[in-house]
Amino acid sequence: MKGAIHVERPWFAASFWEWIFTTDHKKIGILYGVTSTLFFIVAGLMALGMRLELFAPGAQYLEPETYNWFLTVHGAVILLWWAIGIWGAFANFLIPLMIGARDVAFPRLNALGYWMFFAASVIALLTFIPGNEIMTMWTGYPPLATKEGVGYAGTTALFVFIWHLTGFASIAGAVNFITTVVSMRQPGIGFFNLNLFVHGIMAANVIQLLGVPAVAGAVTMLFLDTYLGTNFFNPLKGGDPILYQNLFWFYSHPAVYVMVLPAFGVISEVVSTFARKPIFGYKSMVVAIWAIAVVGFLVWTHHMFVSGIPDWVKILMSYTTLLIAVPTGIKIFNWVGTLYRAAIVYKTPMLYALGAILMFLIGGLTGIPLGIPAFDIAVHDSYFVVGHFHYVLGMAVTLSAFAGFFYWWPKVTGKYYSEGLGKLSFWIILIGSNLLYFAQLIIGIMGMPRRYYDYPPIPEWVRLHEIQTVGAFILAFGILLALISLIKGALSGEKAPSNPWNSNSLEWRLPSPPPPHNFDEPPKVEENYNPHGYREA
Amino acid sequence: MKALLGLVLVGVALAGESEVIARPYDLWEIIYKIWLVISVIIYAVVAIPSLIFMIKYRYKPGEREKGDQEHEGHWGLEALWTIVPLIIVLYLATHGFALFTQMRKPPENAMELKVTAYSWGWMFQYPNGKTVLADAKKDTADQKCKPEECYSVDGVTQQYVYIPAGVPIKAVLTTYDTDVIHAFYVQPAGVVQDIVPGRTTYVWFQINKPGEYWVFCREYCGRWHSRMFAKLKVVPKEEFEKWLKGEVADLNHENAKLELANIESNKAQEVVR
Repeated sequence: MKGAIHVERPWFAASFWEWIFTTDHKKIGILYGVTSTLFFIVAGLMALGMRLELFAPGAQYLEPETYNWFLTVHGAVILLWWAIGIWGAFANFLIPLMIGARDVAFPRLNALGYWMFFAASVIALLTFIPGNEIMTMWTGYPPLATKEGVGYAGTTALFVFIWHLTGFASIAGAVNFITTVVSMRQPGIGFFNLNLFVHGIMAANVIQLLGVPAVAGAVTMLFLDTYLGTNFFNPLKGGDPILYQNLFWFYSHPAVYVMVLPAFGVISEVVSTFARKPIFGYKSMVVAIWAIAVVGFLVWTHHMFVSGIPDWVKILMSYTTLLIAVPTGIKIFNWVGTLYRAAIVYKTPMLYALGAILMFLIGGLTGIPLGIPAFDIAVHDSYFVVGHFHYVLGMAVTLSAFAGFFYWWPKVTGKYYSEGLGKLSFWIILIGSNLLYFAQLIIGIMGMPRRYYDYPPIPEWVRLHEIQTVGAFILAFGILLALISLIKGALSGEKAPSNPWNSNSLEWRLPSPPPPHNFDEPPKVEENYNPHGYREA
Repeated sequence: MKALLGLVLVGVALAGESEVIARPYDLWEIIYKIWLVISVIIYAVVAIPSLIFMIKYRYKPGEREKGDQEHEGHWGLEALWTIVPLIIVLYLATHGFALFTQMRKPPENAMELKVTAYSWGWMFQYPNGKTVLADAKKDTADQKCKPEECYSVDGVTQQYVYIPAGVPIKAVLTTYDTDVIHAFYVQPAGVVQDIVPGRTTYVWFQINKPGEYWVFCREYCGRWHSRMFAKLKVVPKEEFEKWLKGEVADLNHENAKLELANIESNKAQEVVR
């Protein structure tokens, strides 16, 4: 096979054509990582634009259409490219290494998945051409989304195609990772001594496989309604806009666990490694991950508590929603338990992981009231919701992703990142995000509606918006420092050994960076292999 | 333990203190305060031990170079932090359930106010047919409107939506079948309800303290979503009755009819690209 000749060199020495035609899971992982991070930066810059607009009441720099377009792209990109896409990068690079495989089960399908994701990226960039902006918000609720044009939805087709293409990539990835983990593990690695990161990715991919078809169907109906005159969501012809919301959230609520379960996995890897201690309560961690994945499918109507669904449905899903807090709590308590009688080494990834835990706790605690209809009725679609999911996505997921970047950087690039800059970036990000997101929680309790281009000059609101904008710029500066620390490390960092952090996990038994075919011979794991154990370098 | 008790007491004291400004906000405040106290306690229970461990169990060369490898779990503790949170969330959901039932049920004597949302504005119709319009971009109050009956934001003059103090209002919410989803949010009362084309929904509220309050649209509805607000003027009941019978009513009613005729035609133009 032609490809086999080319892969004698490590990934960083690959030619342009190798990048295009590669089926190597490591290269595909890096492609996902670069794409996701670039889009993360774009979405972040759009958020800064919105924050500038909201610094003061009244119209400042942007037209309402521009603001709505920024907000739509910011939401869709952060969720689909960053919070979901970035785990495609980690999963691709790490899963075969963690289970001792040479590649994923279906390397070509894997490559196709990435290029579908790339096609979705191109579609997202098309919305930057004047006249093609999408203004549906990332949720794309009809009837608004079926009203194409300025002032309403913008170009609905692009919104639909983004979902289709990222959905295809998700399903391709899900089929691949599930098959890989089920059938390609080394003997000695079973369900109860897999890395928790692998469990997180597995649970996330099971959700993808079961959930994505629902949202793909919903946006397809949206497309048909908009362009071909069907009436699935048109009340004039007996359709129902609420049907879309049900289908959409049937996937899009579990999707938040697609974003956060791999993040939990990264936190578990990093915390146990730098605590130099096995993870506390491993089995309950595994059970918690899968419990969240299953119960996550039974809670979607909490996004629709005020949309006019029957009250009994609200109550039922209120109980299931709050039930999710239990396995989530188990995970947090177990991380704290891991710190007990540990020997904690404070490197940058550990700071990011510990920050992610303590900030995720705020995200979780502010999520509980949103599952109680009596509470939600006052804060639904307010900034309180915005603050809540930014604590989860902007903090828990983003800090974990950065923890993962710093943690596996020596493995991926073979070089250490810049430690001083890395630590500094953590503290700046922590300060900036808390100013930004905590102010969102407060202004939300005061009643500020979300998705507002403008707001009336209520003095407390103005002050809280000013704080948010300042926080946003501090956060952006912190992210810039983190990226500089990483890139500086990759270019001129100190050379890293194969196991710099003394982890027992399989990926650290390979040279850094790993050779093209990973393991020259199948790695034998010791009896009682524990991926979260301590191992002398 | 004393600190926890203190927090709970502060919470209880807060819950007992204030007079009711608006309903069902008073019920919302109950669940809000319970949640706040529980959350602060849970945060402390997690964060304080975490910080202690983070400081106490630092890596020390020669002394503490690796963690306790045998410390891999504790069934008692793990059962404890499964069962206690389970009890807490079941309690919260059940208490929320009880409060929600009360929040949804409008009092028998509620005054019906018909609220129609459109892109982008509100139309309020009183039981006697009097109509007030709050439009996002166009003046709906004429030049002759009495100064105390109208307000202006960003150069757009609108009439106040008069609401009698201390009277429960049942807002019956609709929009046009050709319109998009909006949501009716009465800020002081802390109630949101979506208005979906093809459905009629309702929400009830009561504001006891006279003053000016905001109504916002809470569901993204396109270009002027953020300008889709109205201002309530809550006045004593007698004053409200006087206003309701006032002659501005007829003038404005005509105005509103014209406006509504415009809305439909405008919409058709805006959708076509």
